[in-house]
Amino acid sequence: MRVGFQKGLDRLEASIHEEGTLAMRSLRGALNALVQQDEELADEVIAFDDEIDARYLAVEEGIQELLARQTPVASDLRLVLAMLHINLHLERIGDYCVTIAKLVKLAPPVAPDRMFVDAFEEMGARAEEMIRVALDSFAARNLEQAEMLVDLDELIDRANRRFVQQVLSFGRDPKLHEWGLRMIIVSRCFERIGDHAVDIGERVAFLVSGEFREFTDASHSDE
Amino acid sequence: MSVTDTSPTVKIAADLTRTPAPEHKDVVFDVQDVGVSYDGNLAVREVSLPIYSNEVTAIIGPSGCGKSTFIRVFNRMNDLIPGAKVHGKVLYHGEDLYGKEVDSVEVRKQIGMVFQKPNPFPKSIYDNVAFGPRVLGWRKGLDERVEEALRRAALWDEVKDRLKKNALGLSGGQQQRLCIARALATEPDVILMDEPASALDPIATTRIEDLMHELKRHYTILIVTHNMQQAARVADMTAFFSVDIAPEGDRTGILVEYDETSKIFTQPSDQRTEDYVTGRFG
Repeated sequence: MRVGFQKGLDRLEASIHEEGTLAMRSLRGALNALVQQDEELADEVIAFDDEIDARYLAVEEGIQELLARQTPVASDLRLVLAMLHINLHLERIGDYCVTIAKLVKLAPPVAPDRMFVDAFEEMGARAEEMIRVALDSFAARNLEQAEMLVDLDELIDRANRRFVQQVLSFGRDPKLHEWGLRMIIVSRCFERIGDHAVDIGERVAFLVSGEFREFTDASHSDE
Repeated sequence: MSVTDTSPTVKIAADLTRTPAPEHKDVVFDVQDVGVSYDGNLAVREVSLPIYSNEVTAIIGPSGCGKSTFIRVFNRMNDLIPGAKVHGKVLYHGEDLYGKEVDSVEVRKQIGMVFQKPNPFPKSIYDNVAFGPRVLGWRKGLDERVEEALRRAALWDEVKDRLKKNALGLSGGQQQRLCIARALATEPDVILMDEPASALDPIATTRIEDLMHELKRHYTILIVTHNMQQAARVADMTAFFSVDIAPEGDRTGILVEYDETSKIFTQPSDQRTEDYVTGRFG
């Protein structure tokens, strides 16, 4: 039994889960900044991304050292490869939260209709749930749970499409137009966070089954 | 690329996630239910597998799993051990290797072997390589034959100016390549290597491994190795052997898994292989 190697793997996996927790905190902050139109909170979310990035780099360095010194194979190799990807997906999720926070600051201060607030809250909650499911499926090596992300993704995709339709139905107020354009990007950010959660699920499936396959293939879908 | 070249610069793979299954060449050895026993005690049990031509096949496994015993089946080296008996069938290019009419000396000419410790004769470099051809009465073109064997063993440039010097003056790595040249001089079809690099330093090891890549163009190579990463680096196919311990304590080598090397080291099918290659064995 290679005790040092196993400890190294365990430490990396724990770091990934901590990074996931940070990403979810960032998402929650971005969502609150958005619905409360709180620029100060938006700044905090932007600054907080440094912590996610630091964690991302530490995991990447840990993986590099493990590859160089321990030459993992078989399920160990799949775990290391899965972590390499999951690490990047979490870092990207953090970046989308920063984009949302920046758009909160850029958008003109209009008082949006309650239905937009509801839409954001729905998408934010769905994105958060998807990250949690993805990380839980990783922790439990649970293929079924990972595959559930496909259905969850469909819900967030639908919410995004509905949101775009609502913005398109705006009147001629130029301020409202600008706000709508920026908010379409925000909506898209939530939708992309969902995609990254699905990608994490795909890596979990690879780790468990040894086979890599895309859960859904955007370039070959019916839509 | 020329201006008239109309070939597309971007090729779209039909399925990016799958690598095509590598095509194997001809079967050199067809091993059927082969076991080896010493004085009635089974050392290796019922192994069946094909060995493909122009590939490197590695045999890995813990100490005492019978991997060295097994590789000796291929050139009938076990014939030389009193009390050793090989059961089952080994077809070599379709012919029974253990058939009554088969001459084991002739077999060892076709199937050369390189051992763990370089074992050159205390003679000149030239005489070491010329030994086999001389025994076989091949006197014509001996110089060319020696040069060709030394070239193929990637040793020629280092020894061409001192062919008459004693082989024991070479470094360990050079001695091992000399032993490979000696095996090549009798124009074998297969080369068996039993831990060929375990007594060498990392640089000499790399040279032997590079040589294996080169040699498989002309020969079929079987290698026994303790070093799993060496198997991962050099082999096309890998056989994992393990030890089965009976309740009375008898230890028998068994073949656990035989597959493409990349499969063995990324997704082994058997938990015992997984435990061994990941270092969780024992």
